[in-house]
Amino acid sequence: MSTAMTFGQKQFIPTPPDKGSFPLDHDGVCKKSMIKYMNCLFSNNSNNSMCRLEARDYLACRMEHNLMAKEEWSKLGFKDVDLDISEKRNK
Amino acid sequence: MNRLVCMNRSFFNVLKHNVSSKSNLLCALKYGATNVYFVRGTHEQKKIRSTMNYMIALGVMTVGLSYAAVPLYRIFCQAYSYGGTVGQSDADESISKMLAVKERPLKIRFNADVASSMQWNFKPQQGDITVVPGETALAFYTALNPTDKPVIGISTYNVIPFEAGQYFNKIQCFCFEEQQLNPHEKVDMPVFFYIDPEFMEDPKMEYVDEIVLSYTFFEAKEGFKLPVPTYAK
Repeated sequence: MSTAMTFGQKQFIPTPPDKGSFPLDHDGVCKKSMIKYMNCLFSNNSNNSMCRLEARDYLACRMEHNLMAKEEWSKLGFKDVDLDISEKRNK
Repeated sequence: MNRLVCMNRSFFNVLKHNVSSKSNLLCALKYGATNVYFVRGTHEQKKIRSTMNYMIALGVMTVGLSYAAVPLYRIFCQAYSYGGTVGQSDADESISKMLAVKERPLKIRFNADVASSMQWNFKPQQGDITVVPGETALAFYTALNPTDKPVIGISTYNVIPFEAGQYFNKIQCFCFEEQQLNPHEKVDMPVFFYIDPEFMEDPKMEYVDEIVLSYTFFEAKEGFKLPVPTYAK
């Protein structure tokens, strides 16, 4: 944060997000997916790597209800989620 | 006496000769000098003029360079990402090509603040999340409007430590756009982000294991600008 003591130091410049802003989910249509994701995080000690499937489901729900622009999964960093699913199922 | 006179006369003669010869020389000098001065003058003047032209050209070039330096520097910074400037590279391509670096788990803490006059209840749904560079992650914040009037908010964020901010890339979030909450409405706000894998190559980040992401909500009114300290401008 900028205070009197940070004068002359580099300023933090917030950057806008790559794909813009999420429209608000006023009707709560994706709330169930969100709760599943939060439960997964809670049971996995807040480890994001274990909950990518639920994250992908939440984003899929958003895309379905026009709350997010449709994108390919690889462009959102989810190309390896299919591999993870099959690994988890094999275990 | 005679000898003296003789000597004096000879002396006078010598003087006369000297004077005359000197005057001759003087005359010659004057004539030649002006001539020489005249000839040397044009040369000198030409030299002076050409030097002046060079100096003026140098001055104009310096002024022109200093004006041109601003866009040139910007192009240079964008091409080489110097000083954290964001390049024009395609975000989609880099995301689809990046690989998760599993050896370096990072803990991202979430912090939520509101401005003093803002009445929303704004808090993160999770206190922290463990993420690795190169992996996209989802996090949630919740905002509740307890008042009886619709309130429009706009948010900004901050990343601590400062040097980690350049690696924190947001794919999509809820910041910098006005968000309206109806009376007594509660809404979930997701943040979809990732840490750039180049984080691994920065020596300053060697001991960084925790990053704090802090969002602050302000009330958006007519003519509202996100506050930045005046000395920072």
